Amino acid sequence: MMPAVRFLSGVSFTLAALFGLSAAAPAPSPVVRYPKAFATDLGGFALASESDSDAVLGGVQIFITAGLDREPVNANGIASLVAESIARTPVPVGSGTSAPVREAIASQGGSLAVTVDGRSVHFYIESRAGKLAGAVALFAKALAAPDFSPATVAAARAALTSRIVETEGSALSVGIGMFRRSFYTTGAGNPALGNASTLAGLGSRDAAAFFAANYKRGGLTASAVGSLAPELNDSLKTLAKALPDGAVVPVLSKTRAIPAQAPRIVAHRDIGAPWVVVGFAAPAPGSKDFGAMLVLEKLLAEAFERNSATTLGFIEKSVGAFYLYDAAPASLVVYVNGTQGDPSVALRELLVVSKSLSLKPLAAGPLRHFKTAAEGQFLTDSVTLSDRAYLLGTFSSQGLGADAINAAVGALERTSAADVQRVAKAYLQRYIVALVLPRGPGGSPGA
Amino acid sequence: MTLRHGLRATALGAFLILAALPANAATGELPDLGPNVTVGRLPEGGTVIVRPTQGAPVAAVELWYRAPSTGFGAKPLPALARLAAQAVAGSKPLVGQTLGQTVAAVGGRLAITVYSDSVAISAVVPASAARTIVKAMTTAFFAPVATDEGFRAAQRDVSQEAFISTFDAETAVRDAVFGALFTAGPQHYPSLGVPKDITNISFGDVKAFATRAFRSPNATLVVSGAVGGDIATAAVAGRPTELGDVAEAVSAPTLATAIAPVSKTFVQNSGGYGWAGPPIADQRAATAMDFIADYLFRIEDGVVSKAVARRSPQSLLVGQFITLHDPGVMFVAFAGNDTAVVRGLVDEGLATVRKPISAAAFANAVESFKYHLLSDLQTPTQQADNYGWYSVEGSAAYAPGANGENGAYFTAASSLTPEFVASVAEKYLGKTPVVVTLAPEEKKAP
Repeated sequence: MMPAVRFLSGVSFTLAALFGLSAAAPAPSPVVRYPKAFATDLGGFALASESDSDAVLGGVQIFITAGLDREPVNANGIASLVAESIARTPVPVGSGTSAPVREAIASQGGSLAVTVDGRSVHFYIESRAGKLAGAVALFAKALAAPDFSPATVAAARAALTSRIVETEGSALSVGIGMFRRSFYTTGAGNPALGNASTLAGLGSRDAAAFFAANYKRGGLTASAVGSLAPELNDSLKTLAKALPDGAVVPVLSKTRAIPAQAPRIVAHRDIGAPWVVVGFAAPAPGSKDFGAMLVLEKLLAEAFERNSATTLGFIEKSVGAFYLYDAAPASLVVYVNGTQGDPSVALRELLVVSKSLSLKPLAAGPLRHFKTAAEGQFLTDSVTLSDRAYLLGTFSSQGLGADAINAAVGALERTSAADVQRVAKAYLQRYIVALVLPRGPGGSPGA
Repeated sequence: MTLRHGLRATALGAFLILAALPANAATGELPDLGPNVTVGRLPEGGTVIVRPTQGAPVAAVELWYRAPSTGFGAKPLPALARLAAQAVAGSKPLVGQTLGQTVAAVGGRLAITVYSDSVAISAVVPASAARTIVKAMTTAFFAPVATDEGFRAAQRDVSQEAFISTFDAETAVRDAVFGALFTAGPQHYPSLGVPKDITNISFGDVKAFATRAFRSPNATLVVSGAVGGDIATAAVAGRPTELGDVAEAVSAPTLATAIAPVSKTFVQNSGGYGWAGPPIADQRAATAMDFIADYLFRIEDGVVSKAVARRSPQSLLVGQFITLHDPGVMFVAFAGNDTAVVRGLVDEGLATVRKPISAAAFANAVESFKYHLLSDLQTPTQQADNYGWYSVEGSAAYAPGANGENGAYFTAASSLTPEFVASVAEKYLGKTPVVVTLAPEEKKAP
């Protein structure tokens, strides 16, 4: 293995740069915005849409409140199993033939993707503008009569199981999963795909029951981005009718109170070096604290990084951060990559900085720097039609209004040093530490 | 100077400044990339392509160069191009920040990618910072400065990248395919090198390479995103060099006359195939090869990809036609514990395309292919990558997306027939491929 890169330039230097030495920072650039988004009432559910005049494709995210937080105890994986089975449901494609809806959409020049997160399942359909409504109509047929036959459920289970193996091979994913399971008291902290053992125990009857309980018209929202034809609205109305009428009971998502004495949880994997994930509670996107937490996410991810000309990937970074607002309440995780240096040193310095951020406000220069950098990262992370439609939908449903992505950018721009200090004090002082350690010799847990 | 249409009126005045070129600026016909794309010459030579878009308020700013990854000298130095580009991007000029710091300060991302005969420096940034980054990138590269500190940081970073890539099966198979298909020239060597290659490169090698490769006349500057058509006026001229105002010539690669199988050690059981394919100038055949790769190997959607997902879901499978000046290269890579099964599925898939696909299946496949192209062209970075790549390979007008769906690429895609695709498959994939087999080193018995 190559020599480890020296971790940090020294915590004292970091703190001086953040609070004392007001380094020159570039003047703020002119404000830029996404195309303005609008909300449309489609007769009982809301469509948030953001139109690009020159796009060739359009994409629509269909959200249903059937996410991890609604998984029954001991049924982790059911949300993904149901969603994947729906994507495999046969629909008529002409001449008396049928094909799984994902393939039917693909063969007409489009795509269907499925994602389960803490609060919802979302089905993303993308196609040329003129074909998007037709693709949604095909999906509506699958939603109206989902196939939970043993064969389809078995195929869905097999597909999920293979993806689980990939996820479990990543120390970072394992660490984040450990924190989430420890933090949430509902299924919101469950692994999105379930795990092999729970999936093995779930069958057609479980899938049908989960669908009946959670796939209701009252739990439907949608967001669309790109080139959007008027027919899309009618197609979405038809899709809504494919779901049983009825409201969904809100899930009271709960988290465990994080003790002042930071709990530590440990797992061992076949990895070459330890990884540390530090998890914090975080504000929801609709909160007045949202912009400040985006700044803190960027600050904690960047403050310790070595100076590389090119942007480092997560495996090359020594410290990184992710603000996870897919579940309610949200969370922030900061990881320390042991392949890049001594994680105990990095962890100690990270916690010193977290503490210091709560004690005094950032100086004007660093505040401007991290706001600019956080806004840049937010914008450059939110470019594809899929990502934009997801953010538009998830932010709209969490209190940021119809023009939700622009509202998030605005929240960042309004953030003051006092906001950052207040949010650091409220959220960064209690945390859970998840340690993912290499197995010892012979596969033992090790030291 | 050829001024292509598509110029916004507000940009015209500014763009004419660019038109005041030295008489001996880089010559050659400028490509017609459609009504929404501005194409022009940079003041000291080189090409600029600007594609304004709506949508996300971001911009991609890219510099593309035709330059051998192993350097211009007689002795090949794998990774030289990568190291030189990294050193320039990370060297602090007398005044101001490094390019990397400037991009990071606006929350953008900077990447450097090196191929056998080209180098791409690409940034994605908020649109409001696009002018700043165009200026910073052209300042850094058109008059390249490499400091000792920047060189040492580049050695560290590129060594780490090369080290990580030694665990990547796709890279290992692709490098093995290219190493066997080409007996000399940059195509024969891994473009990223291995860590020990980087230690063999001197600071002097880096500076000499940067001076020659990164000249303005050898550059294609591509800007795509929520920018005005006059964005190119932010580019600095750079300095004239004794190397003149012409771009680097395209060197003909040395194809192997006899193809031999390749067996090497690797951390994981892996395998693959490689074939020389049509040149970029044979647009219809090259498009047919792209179609074949999409039809068989598109991740999740390809016929073989789906079969592998069913039979061996933990296996990696990648297949791609790489459009190059001449010849292009088709390669397939797979890895996992079932390489024999996957190889069999790949063989079956390749056999099916050497016969005409049924009309109904073909029509669906072409529709999917066109959608995949459009989906892969939806971000500013994807668009800039495309224009840059096809420019340095010698046919910008053939870039998918140029002239939209009326352009050369989509016209070629629409012209495909089952019979033509089968004939192209037979012509190129019917030949003996490079067969790659990678496996972990066997432990010796005690």
